[in-house]
Amino acid sequence: MKRLGPFHTLGAGAVLVVGLGVLSVTTAPRTDTAASSAPAAKVTTSVSPESAPPGQATPSAAPTDAAEPADPTPKRADYAGVAQGNGGLVALSIKNGKAIAYFCDGRIESWLKGTAENNTVTLAGKGSLITAALGNGKAQGRLQVGKAKWRFSAPLVKKPSGLYRATATVRGAKVVGGWIILPGGRQVGLLGVDEAPYPAPKLTPGSPVTVDGAELRPEDTDAFFDDL
Amino acid sequence: MTIPQPVRKQSFAPYLVPLLVGGLVAVALGVYGRAHTPTGYAVGLSGFSGTLAMKAWLATGSFVLALVQIFSALAMYGKLPGVQAPSWTGTLHRWSGRVAFLLSVPVAFHCLYALGAQFDTTRVLVHSLLGTFFYGVFVAKMLSLPKRDLPGWALPVLGGLAFTALTGLWLTSSFWFFTTFGVTF
Repeated sequence: MKRLGPFHTLGAGAVLVVGLGVLSVTTAPRTDTAASSAPAAKVTTSVSPESAPPGQATPSAAPTDAAEPADPTPKRADYAGVAQGNGGLVALSIKNGKAIAYFCDGRIESWLKGTAENNTVTLAGKGSLITAALGNGKAQGRLQVGKAKWRFSAPLVKKPSGLYRATATVRGAKVVGGWIILPGGRQVGLLGVDEAPYPAPKLTPGSPVTVDGAELRPEDTDAFFDDL
Repeated sequence: MTIPQPVRKQSFAPYLVPLLVGGLVAVALGVYGRAHTPTGYAVGLSGFSGTLAMKAWLATGSFVLALVQIFSALAMYGKLPGVQAPSWTGTLHRWSGRVAFLLSVPVAFHCLYALGAQFDTTRVLVHSLLGTFFYGVFVAKMLSLPKRDLPGWALPVLGGLAFTALTGLWLTSSFWFFTTFGVTF
């Protein structure tokens, strides 16, 4: 057997990297056809061996069947962390392919909605945008509010940490309160009174807060996820 | 070691080049990991419960082979008391090293391509820095191997650094995974 030199070792590593790169690009979640073609073929043969003509019914049914178990996105997860360079907090929640997020630094805030698939979330709000990758127990990505952009990294959090929201009508004004609490106890919050920002009282999870004599009951993500 | 050799100026150059190239590789990997937006996705082997489990086991394979590396190297250098290195020790050392390196590549590829270098928590910070350092040292060692006029300590030092870095990488990834999530495939 011919003895391979150290250069061949490095070369083999480089070739492997290139191969992984090409495969990662071609099978990336966005290009659905390439990613699901192999599992789709398996599903069609095993589920409907005889009945369906290959050209018709199966292609519409198979990709959804195959994509479901292949998608590694968590069904339900809450993340919270700091926007680097701003110091504001970001909270992000995932539920069955949908995503909601809240950014707040005590002066400006933004509620965002979007989707979560293949461990990638994309959310948009009024003048704001979040894209993040999920994995290793955290959501990591970029946040844009107006013209400002920050990176953020938000680890998984459990109650009582995470995102809280309260909505109420106080003397004819629509009040929306948002709070983010980090595992260390750090929190930030803001009240939107008819969309204008006002300082929010400190939140103790489980207890109501008083705004202008009215009582608000901040709820955790499970309670308002579908209302947002 | 017992006979002092006159120091010649040219003798530095042969092992400075591999070190320089290795340093550039480490810096390039770090810059790439930091500058490139993580995709959150990269290809991997199927058959594991998840990407982390796959990476944890590939890294463990690499680490076990790194143990083979350190002991075969010790045997070749006659540092294992009472062990006469068999003739195939060199072959074992070369091939276990190659396989260890190739096993580590998909893991590092996922780290850099899908996740990027991160400095948020101590574990991830140490892992990111060790990861870039490991491939720098590895490249330096590979490029140093064909050089004939290296001082005798050069290869053991480079190999030892590579082993130390890989051990640190394993502790901050696989060991963390197994102790956090349990030993799952």
